[in-house]
Amino acid sequence: MLRTASRYRLLAIFVLPALAVYVVFSVFPLLSSVALSFFRSSGRGASMFVGIGNYIHLFTDPYTSERFWNALLNNVEFFGIHLLVELPVGLLMAALLTSGTLRRARGVYRTILFIPATLSVVIVGFIWRLIINPLWGLVSFPLLGDAKTALATISLMSVWEYVGIPMIFLYTALLAVPEDIIEASRIDGARPWQVFWRIKFPLIAPQFGLITILTYIWTFNGFDIVYALNGSAPGPNYSTDILGTLFYRTFFGSSGQVADLDQGATIASVIFFIILITTAAYFVVLQRRIKTYEL
Amino acid sequence: MRSKLAPFALVVVAAVGIGLTGCSTGTDTGGTTKTTTITFGNWRTEDAKLWENDVIPAFEKTHPGIKVVYRATDTNDYNAAIQSQVDSGTGPDVIMCRPFDVNRAWIDKGYFDDLKSLKSISNFTPTALAAWQGSNGDPYCVPIASVLAGFYYNKAIFKELGLTPPTTMAEFTALLQKIKDNGKYTPLALGSADGWQLAYNVLDSIGPNYWGGEDGRLGLIDGTKKLTDPQFVASIQAVSDLKPFLPKGYQSLKYEDMMQLFTLGKAAILPDGSWDVTAATATGLDVGAFAPPVVNAGDQRYLQEMPDQGVGLNSKSKNKAASKVFLDWLGTTDFQQVYVNKVPGFFSMGTTPVTYDNKLAQDFADLKKGAKLTPRLALDRLSAGKPPLDDDTWAVLQTVFNDGVTPAAASAKLQKDLDSWYKPTK
Repeated sequence: MLRTASRYRLLAIFVLPALAVYVVFSVFPLLSSVALSFFRSSGRGASMFVGIGNYIHLFTDPYTSERFWNALLNNVEFFGIHLLVELPVGLLMAALLTSGTLRRARGVYRTILFIPATLSVVIVGFIWRLIINPLWGLVSFPLLGDAKTALATISLMSVWEYVGIPMIFLYTALLAVPEDIIEASRIDGARPWQVFWRIKFPLIAPQFGLITILTYIWTFNGFDIVYALNGSAPGPNYSTDILGTLFYRTFFGSSGQVADLDQGATIASVIFFIILITTAAYFVVLQRRIKTYEL
Repeated sequence: MRSKLAPFALVVVAAVGIGLTGCSTGTDTGGTTKTTTITFGNWRTEDAKLWENDVIPAFEKTHPGIKVVYRATDTNDYNAAIQSQVDSGTGPDVIMCRPFDVNRAWIDKGYFDDLKSLKSISNFTPTALAAWQGSNGDPYCVPIASVLAGFYYNKAIFKELGLTPPTTMAEFTALLQKIKDNGKYTPLALGSADGWQLAYNVLDSIGPNYWGGEDGRLGLIDGTKKLTDPQFVASIQAVSDLKPFLPKGYQSLKYEDMMQLFTLGKAAILPDGSWDVTAATATGLDVGAFAPPVVNAGDQRYLQEMPDQGVGLNSKSKNKAASKVFLDWLGTTDFQQVYVNKVPGFFSMGTTPVTYDNKLAQDFADLKKGAKLTPRLALDRLSAGKPPLDDDTWAVLQTVFNDGVTPAAASAKLQKDLDSWYKPTK
């Protein structure tokens, strides 16, 4: 029997290697990026501490703040569409997969529905751009060229790609619902509709919170699909600009724009804080209160 | 100046290319002379093979003792990469220079040594050097290549419909109308999904004939002219007037779609830059090029010549002597003759004419005859603040095409945004 002290020593030995890698490659770059956002480089290698000067500039400068709020609002819409479409569709698919009517085809459908999530974003963007191309595609309306429809179109492409992920979450949760409860409810005369909404749904409800927060993190870190389709100054007229592309444009510059590393780090930090605060609030406030049924 | 979506594949190909050539050139005879190795940092990942197989060997043959290593970074990451490398003292010895404002900022940050004393600098006119001048007027980079913009046309379609390239805007409009009335082809392969395309290949191409080239461009810089002046509004109007001749759904058509439409022979005319001479003829079409038409017959003709690449000396380089030898060589026709013929569509900026093997490239070079040259409107000084006039032009022209904003309103917005930060030099 090990004494407490040596147990902790062993614990430390096992944890340290992973912790070291995590600190060096994840925590340190994150903190140094946040640190960078408090400095302004003045050329010739010199850098000056400006406190929250970069943040003040980001939120108050008329041009910079207009781009920032535009990107933030677009990002909220991007997240909203993901949540409102991906979750119900994912639930529907999971419910159909577990309903038993598919019998042996279940595995085939499960695989087919999950395949898009394994594709490269560049390929997804390219395929969809061809499908909705007004010249060679199925839709003659320029969906990506109209400021009103462009962001929704891109969001739905992304939903199409990633809908398999909430589906798998809900599917596994539905599989975990014990068969005897369902059988008991059937004996009591419950119809399939009632079985789903009264028995299965409450049991998988905690999954929704998790999927929501994961979707939130993914969409606020989003970048690739927009960049693949519309580049780093996503048009028309910045209507598909999200925080990720705004960061990219600022940090890396372009052929006509000097790379602004400090301002880029500021935007990256703001994205980090937006995600951190919401995620923390979610875990503290919501996740604890979600009712789990004792089985 | 390739597409915004600079194909990732090229990076991979370039990386493989670097790997392979790295292997093949490994047979170095250990001579007695001490060799200096200098690195050349640039964003032309797609040219790695050509530099390593043709250009650099040509230099090393005449300059034993100096080895040049080609170090390309993807164009999207280039500015950030160079800035962090030079700031931390690990930058390449010679650095490819972005034209105008980015480079001016880099000069001000102290990244470069001036090249006043370099012999081959005298091979260039002040206009050619202008894109890489410091605030004091000193040259900081050797001009490597420029690109031109104009209109590609499908010769077979022109022959079928009995058309000849237009010389005035009125002829141009009549010609487009004729192709449209015929109904078989799209008159103009142009979409508005890529804002830069509208700015660089349409407004900055036909615009100079309205605003008088350098006259209008420098007028904006010294504050004597405004974007709301009639000649600028008229130029945006001329761009907007092209709308009826565009393919359906042009609002969401990208640069790649336009190129495809043209190379498949479904469109008669493609407004584009000279860097696409290879792409435009890739399917074997017989393609010609015509210059942006003048407003009224007999007017002075203007042509966009955009400085694209220059090369400068890293002020923190440890091999300055060898680097200067290389830079001096880049300013000679020895280099230009090799380079421009390996990269058709890029043009030498030196005063000594160079011949082009590619027929279409020669056609483009011939457009320079009789024309006054001018770079793109917004990249010099006018894009050094926020919002940069260049980015603003992309977005505003898109609203003209996609949201029906009038040319007058568009130019008013551009001038207002410019006034919010720009202090004219006069």
